[in-house]
Amino acid sequence: MKSSAALLLLMLGVTCGRGDAQTTPLPPPYAGAYQPQGVDEIGLWREDDESERQLAVSNLVVRDEKLTAYVKQVLCDTVGEDRCKSVRVYIVREPTFNATMSPNGTMRVFSGLFLRVHSEAELAAVLGHEFGHFEQRHSLADFKSLRSGTDVLAWTAVLVNLAASYNTRRVYRDVELSVYGHLYRYNRDQEREADRLGIAYLNKSRLRPQAASLVWQNIMAEVEVSARHRGLKKPNFNVIAFTATHPPHGERANYLSVLALPEGADRDSGADRYRAMLAPWIPLFLEDQVRLNDFGGSEYLIEALAQAGWTAGLWFARGELYRNRGNQRDLVQAADFYARAIEIESGMADAHRGLGLSLMKTGRPSDGQKALQAYLDLKPGASDANMIRMMLPKEVTGP
Amino acid sequence: MIWLAIVASVSAAVTAPAAAQERSAVKQGFELAAKSNKKILLFRPAVRVGAQSTGGLFEPNAEWTEQAKANIEAALHQFQESLGNEVVAAPEAYGDDARNLHEHMALFAAVSQSVIEYQFFVGNRLPTKKRDNKTQVFDWSLGKGVAGLPGAADADYGLFIYNRDAYGSTGRKVLQVFAAMGGVSVTSGEHVGYAGLVDLKTGELLWLNADAAMGGDVREKDGSEKRVRQLLEDFPGSDIPKAVAE
Amino acid sequence: MSFHLPKMIATLVAAHLLLVATAAPAHKLRLRGEAVAVAGSTVTVTPSRDWNTLSRKVGKNTETWTVDGEQLNDVTFFAGIPAGMPLVRERSKKRDPLPKFTKTTLLVEIPELLEGTYRTYKNSGSFRLLSSEPGRFLGKDGVSFAYEFIDVDELTRRGEALAAIIDDKLYMITFEAPRLNYFDAMASDFRALASSAVLR
Repeated sequence: MKSSAALLLLMLGVTCGRGDAQTTPLPPPYAGAYQPQGVDEIGLWREDDESERQLAVSNLVVRDEKLTAYVKQVLCDTVGEDRCKSVRVYIVREPTFNATMSPNGTMRVFSGLFLRVHSEAELAAVLGHEFGHFEQRHSLADFKSLRSGTDVLAWTAVLVNLAASYNTRRVYRDVELSVYGHLYRYNRDQEREADRLGIAYLNKSRLRPQAASLVWQNIMAEVEVSARHRGLKKPNFNVIAFTATHPPHGERANYLSVLALPEGADRDSGADRYRAMLAPWIPLFLEDQVRLNDFGGSEYLIEALAQAGWTAGLWFARGELYRNRGNQRDLVQAADFYARAIEIESGMADAHRGLGLSLMKTGRPSDGQKALQAYLDLKPGASDANMIRMMLPKEVTGP
Repeated sequence: MIWLAIVASVSAAVTAPAAAQERSAVKQGFELAAKSNKKILLFRPAVRVGAQSTGGLFEPNAEWTEQAKANIEAALHQFQESLGNEVVAAPEAYGDDARNLHEHMALFAAVSQSVIEYQFFVGNRLPTKKRDNKTQVFDWSLGKGVAGLPGAADADYGLFIYNRDAYGSTGRKVLQVFAAMGGVSVTSGEHVGYAGLVDLKTGELLWLNADAAMGGDVREKDGSEKRVRQLLEDFPGSDIPKAVAE
Repeated sequence: MSFHLPKMIATLVAAHLLLVATAAPAHKLRLRGEAVAVAGSTVTVTPSRDWNTLSRKVGKNTETWTVDGEQLNDVTFFAGIPAGMPLVRERSKKRDPLPKFTKTTLLVEIPELLEGTYRTYKNSGSFRLLSSEPGRFLGKDGVSFAYEFIDVDELTRRGEALAAIIDDKLYMITFEAPRLNYFDAMASDFRALASSAVLR
């Protein structure tokens, strides 16, 4: 057991440091139906209830009972049925890596998260971490510290205005109570505490606790690739909302792997169940990502997903990514990726479209037109069918 | 009688000059006779009370908020009763109805902000709205969709109320001085309110009152009544004498 | 075309500071029936009703018109975006680059370019293309398309646009308004405005 865990750490390239790692703390006892206390907390809950009212009817929420129930179940499996009763889960359609939990028990899971975790255990690591903040009521402590925190930001805002930004006033209304919830920024010690709790939940669960460290390694890699493709010297880890004020990722990946129960390494990570459950949604969430103009990050995510095997959907997403960037070399590669998608799934209409457009732009109009014709044959009622038809020679009207 | 009420009352509260204004307007031709027994549907009033730190972080205070909400609702009922109108709270909505209401509330907010930014206050008015002011035109609408809102079929008008109060701290007043040098105004303690009356058949905005610097401490019963008076003093058919300063 | 600050800053600015710019340049009146050149270009339009030109621009070679404020009706002209340029001003060329119009961009890809710009700028997944059809703009063959998106103010807005590529430059006019009431109310005036556009 021990040796396999050590081997795993070795494979992950994580150094355990000295042998004085803290022992895994046990989760605190369940506190029961908690009621807010004191002016700040009661006020915060009231605001939070109001915010949740809006969230519940927002069009930005993905209303899929099955997916929502699944995420809730993974949370329950992680923190225990008793604890998870106090939580309502909402899935928000936004392509960022983020999940938040607010004081009254509202958990927001952003759709971008689903591209970045690859198993139930990894999902559980993120959910458990957020739940740790909740159980320790960090947002209250955080709110109290924010009072001085935003004081700094207020000065910044005034300075920004001195620089006469063109759209400072293009703010439609008080978005503070928006469905996205409040801006919570925890300090590093709170993050560490939530990490320790998160991993303690995982250790006690049926899932593999080593997944927590993997999540952080993957984020670091994604942000680095994204920055490199933008020609930036230094990756900015703050671009990911979830990680903005978190401990340095290297440190975190390290201690998370040390705290993970070595025996847990033999447990199931639930990767197959996770993939099966998310299968209907991944193409949509991937499209949201690919259209973000983050070439490096998107490429990294596609390749990470492809580790479980290249699918037509992944080849297609990669084709879209390259065609959107649009250099000549990109277009040639895009055509290749679309062709691979078609090889796997010949009826994938949009792949024929992408192939056709890429070929048209790389000096192969007759092949391109054939592909576009295939697109129209597969999807005669496509929203852009008439535009595509214009690109075909007049005499070729049917198969 | 066709009229466009424009009241610019100067508040005695410590605020930046640009924000110390109140205005209201009534749609041309709209008149609400006293004792006309109209049924007014009140959409969940957004009432929030708290304190404000230097950074402007709104510190919610549940007790103040509940108190203010109860006070304002009571004052509202009393006030409309005296006008001969009946105020009924909009029923709780669910599912598609709730989403539709949510979107209409968001539209009301957008329209109100537009009126405030582009028609009411000097400095950023749109030329066409400036001209409307001269010819006493007040033409805004939420659209006929309002007729389908929960409870709308049984009422004549919809009343939307937005009210937000924050009581300023000293650090904030210092910041104000620096901000003024940069050509921005930072209000010290926000007392913002707006109220709007919408025709539930046509969606037309019949009356809107906006006040970026209101008086009356809504945490107190007297203050709440004063606030409702301020929000509604230009309410069509109102005979409330206009308060000038705090 | 409506763009605002990143959410976090927007939240702070909107909620915590009432920032009122003092000396903003004035918005201009555009009178019905009077031909006028837009966005410092040779694109000339003759409006079918009175409009306002906003003093603020979303980017180089653009101009925004409105009747009731851009959150309620927004017509934006993109008058000759050269190859290699984004549609609207980038927050940061390095860190937040926007998709660019390129020499190889096809007409049928213009809706995707607008979509990518919105999604990237707003970091949102809520943009949906509804349709795209062949259309005429500035006397040339172009593309006419419709879309929908949800903004942070929780309003679902509908959009309609006409675009053409002339001498390797992108010319486009977009109209956006809340789907509740405002889109239908102004759509015919927008279409009249778009079809009045000529290159002088």
